[in-house]
Amino acid sequence: MSRIELVDLRKEYGNVVAVKAMDLTIEDGEFIVFVGPSGCGKTTTLRMIAGFEDPTNGEIRIDGTVVNEKEPGDRDLGMVFQSHALFPHKNVADNIAFGLRMKKVPQDEQAAKVKEVSELVRITHLLGKMPAQCSGGESQRIALARTLVTEPSNFLLDEPLSSLDAKLRRELRAECDRLHDELQKTFIYVTHDQEEAMTLADRIIVMNQGEIVQQGTPMEIYSDPVSYFVADFFGNPAMNLIDGEFVKNGDSLEFKSAHFDIPLPAKFANATPGKGTLGIRPENVGIGANSGGATIEREVELVEPLGKDTLLYFETEESRPFVAVVEGTEDVKRHASVTINFPDDAIFLFGANGDRIR
Amino acid sequence: MAMTKSQRRISYAAFRYLVLTFWLLVVAFPIFWMVSTSFKPDREWFAWPPVYISENATLQNYLAVWGDVTTHSVDEQTGEIKTYAQSLQRPWQALGNSALISVIATTLSVLFGSVLAYGVSRYQILSEGRMFQLLMLRMVPPIVLVAPISIWYSALGLLDTILGLVMLYFLTTLPYAVWMSKSFIDEVPREMEQAAEILGASRWRTIWEVVLPLVRSGLVATFLFILILTWSEYLLALLLSKAQIVTLPVELSKYQGSTEGRVYGRQAALSVGITLPLIVVGMIIRKHLARGFSFGMVRR
Amino acid sequence: MTADSTLPSDMAPQLNSRAATRAQGVRRFKWTVLSPLIALMVFILLPAFVLQGYFSFFSFSIFDAGDDTSFLSYFRASEWVGLDLWKDALTDDKFGFAIIRSLLFAVGVTVGCFVIGFALALLMYRPFRGQGFYYIFFILPMLTVPIVIAYTGEMILYQNGPLNDIIGMVTGTRSDAQFLYKQEVALTTIAAMEIWNWTPFSFIIMMAGLASLPKEPQEAAQILGASKWRIFWEVQLPLLRPVILLALILRFLESMAEFPKTWGLLQGGPGSATETIPVYIFITAWQFFDISYGAVLSYLVLFMMMAIVMSAIWLLRREKKSLDAMYETKPQEG
Ligand SMILES: Nc1ncnc2c1ncn2[C@@H]1O[C@H](COP(=O)(O)OP(=O)(O)OP(=O)(O)O)[C@@H](O)[C@H]1O
Ligand SMILES: [Mg+2]
Repeated sequence: MSRIELVDLRKEYGNVVAVKAMDLTIEDGEFIVFVGPSGCGKTTTLRMIAGFEDPTNGEIRIDGTVVNEKEPGDRDLGMVFQSHALFPHKNVADNIAFGLRMKKVPQDEQAAKVKEVSELVRITHLLGKMPAQCSGGESQRIALARTLVTEPSNFLLDEPLSSLDAKLRRELRAECDRLHDELQKTFIYVTHDQEEAMTLADRIIVMNQGEIVQQGTPMEIYSDPVSYFVADFFGNPAMNLIDGEFVKNGDSLEFKSAHFDIPLPAKFANATPGKGTLGIRPENVGIGANSGGATIEREVELVEPLGKDTLLYFETEESRPFVAVVEGTEDVKRHASVTINFPDDAIFLFGANGDRIR
Repeated sequence: MAMTKSQRRISYAAFRYLVLTFWLLVVAFPIFWMVSTSFKPDREWFAWPPVYISENATLQNYLAVWGDVTTHSVDEQTGEIKTYAQSLQRPWQALGNSALISVIATTLSVLFGSVLAYGVSRYQILSEGRMFQLLMLRMVPPIVLVAPISIWYSALGLLDTILGLVMLYFLTTLPYAVWMSKSFIDEVPREMEQAAEILGASRWRTIWEVVLPLVRSGLVATFLFILILTWSEYLLALLLSKAQIVTLPVELSKYQGSTEGRVYGRQAALSVGITLPLIVVGMIIRKHLARGFSFGMVRR
Repeated sequence: MTADSTLPSDMAPQLNSRAATRAQGVRRFKWTVLSPLIALMVFILLPAFVLQGYFSFFSFSIFDAGDDTSFLSYFRASEWVGLDLWKDALTDDKFGFAIIRSLLFAVGVTVGCFVIGFALALLMYRPFRGQGFYYIFFILPMLTVPIVIAYTGEMILYQNGPLNDIIGMVTGTRSDAQFLYKQEVALTTIAAMEIWNWTPFSFIIMMAGLASLPKEPQEAAQILGASKWRIFWEVQLPLLRPVILLALILRFLESMAEFPKTWGLLQGGPGSATETIPVYIFITAWQFFDISYGAVLSYLVLFMMMAIVMSAIWLLRREKKSLDAMYETKPQEG
């Protein structure tokens, strides 16, 4: 049983406020993923939990006890660093055994545990090597093993995979997932990568400029983003976001932009007119008039078949072309003129300040 | 009783300031004493209890040492000091010699050393073994060669010349120049130069615009370190100079050998003059020193 | 470069000639850069070496070095004595003591500088308020000229000087300790001055070393439950070994050659308490003007120092190799 609570947590570096008043409770066994743009305070938050940085204000509680005054080593935590942080002068087995030695575990028990954990992350063949002789992926596994072997209740992982190539990243991502399932420990994971966040998390914490802007399951975040920022961050390909203006037209509201004007669904009738953004996920864009909702005619400028799906690009001269995803079986030719359909319940509106308009 | 994190941090900080301040006093006291003595009138030089800060501070020591003794009458009551000052070598000449010799030698050393280091770093023009052998130039004490050198110099007419000292200073400081600048050059990623070259920059332009700005701090630190060595060199300067050339350390050592007894105030006034230039240079370039130097024995 | 010569030139003429031009350019660059160094070694150091060796077989001594041209006439008056002087040197007690004194001095100074410099660096390498201030101050002794330190040291240490006054104030009794003109302590006192002078050197190197250590392994150790002390022994110290070795070796060799303080202040005295190797050779060659015997001593010292330097270099190269291996670029996943 281990529960981590952050209460009104704040960190300032001189004039820079890295983390502003963060409140968060992390339940035992949860897989939490922090995401957000560079410099939003993810690492700072993690390092405060770990005890490497002292909060300017606020409390960190683990299992109900305030740990602000505890050393990192006394917090029942394990941490995996982006740079794997192995001890370059110790061989792999000694690296893994280090934590056990610090806890004065008897020699024979140490050996047994090292063996057990290296089987768990599949690195038994590396035990006699030096870290410099291991590849990036192997090093990260070793780092994981070194953390696992001390059996902490909570794991902190700061972009553990970001220095690896795409294939390895997927492989180790699956590994993390498997470990979490097997161990049922709390994982707090920081990443830049929305795909990692979506696949791993029980709960995603989206941060921006030192604040939590939204939290929820991956599906909640995906289907119900609270702001332009969150909508833009999740989903691949990214949501189509078109800047324009909401204009009153009799009883209903209409969206006008440089590219197209469409009437908006009735539920937005009472929204305030003014500048704003319309969003629709590429996979929700209808091609061919099929589901009611507004429609426009456009020429397909680029066709990108991906096998199962095909991406259609419109308005490619814009910095962000408008994208639609259709079934791979659909046969759409370049330069063909098609009907683009905006299903009512697929439309997101965001005000000029980026907040969602419901 | 176990201390909490913040208690431990506070007590560690207190301990640190205590130790550092103690060492600060150890470092500062001799310098303070030198400066303080240089302003003392002669009767306070040997006073007991010692005078820490003179209430009768005077410039007479500076005037006697640095002043033009033939036109300046120093101080009526210390006539002997006046003759004494005249009998010694001329500090201003020594200052000129010292400055000339050490600046030329240091410049040459750093210039050649860094170009050589660049060649070693990028084109391996010297093997690692040769690089270590280069260290011997510095690591063998100069006393073992100074006698035959002085005889050889006298045959070549290099004895008692600026050139003679410059050449030896160059040789004995080159190893440090090469090693220090190489450690800084090694830290500049080669990709950067390659990128510049692909963009069409010539070799020299690349060095000038890409490499140099990145190693400038390091080269400045190297320059200062070698300036320290050449400015304060004593043995070679003592033995390879006679009438024409005198450097400041040699000039100062004449006070000690003089038969007229210790003249602490004068000595201190000259010492301040010798020390000040290096300290001024050091303060001017202090931000370049912060990186320190490690001779390539660490990885960043 | 070597690969070029093994390639038949007609196989890849274009590539080959470009590589050859490049190699030629590098070669020209190499010799241009090295030529001043080589010239100086050949025309200054080499003749001095040869002369030194030659003199060591004569009874060449000069009593008046005043006139430049007189050297040769004195030399003509000297006679061939073969290996006599070499034999003398090997049974010369004063020389033996000088070597022992120098070694003791150098070891003491090296350890002193290193321990103080490393301790200060450990206290200071993490940022704190006032770091820059202390850093600059702690470098000052290195900027102070050794001979100045010697004389200033004397002003402070003499019997009626401020050090005795301060000791008196602290202990409450009048202190009139002799620090310089007493055989038992003279060398130690000079060593203390040398330590004061050169601690900054060790300090700067160790600061650079500590600052360059990667932070993550230390934090990893910390979160695995290692105390500060354990981290120091198990993570920092092993990674610093090459720098430490370098700081020790450079300081040791430099203090073997120390001259301005031992000679400038005490001329080897009192008695022969500060007669280190450089001082003894100096006295032989420049006070007794016994050039030949000085040459013999110099050669012996040269051999000894060469042996020390070679072992030092061997140690350093080994450390550097293991350091390079530790941070070698990773093999690709395969
Ligand atoms: N030691 C420090 N001193 C000063 N400012 C800092 C320090 N560490 C972080 N910051 C600042 O705090 C803010 C948050 O940094 P943090 O490292 O937590 O971001 P992050 O979300 O982890 O970013 P990234 O995704 O790039 O790793 C940034 O503006 C950063 O510049
Ligand atoms: Mg980060």
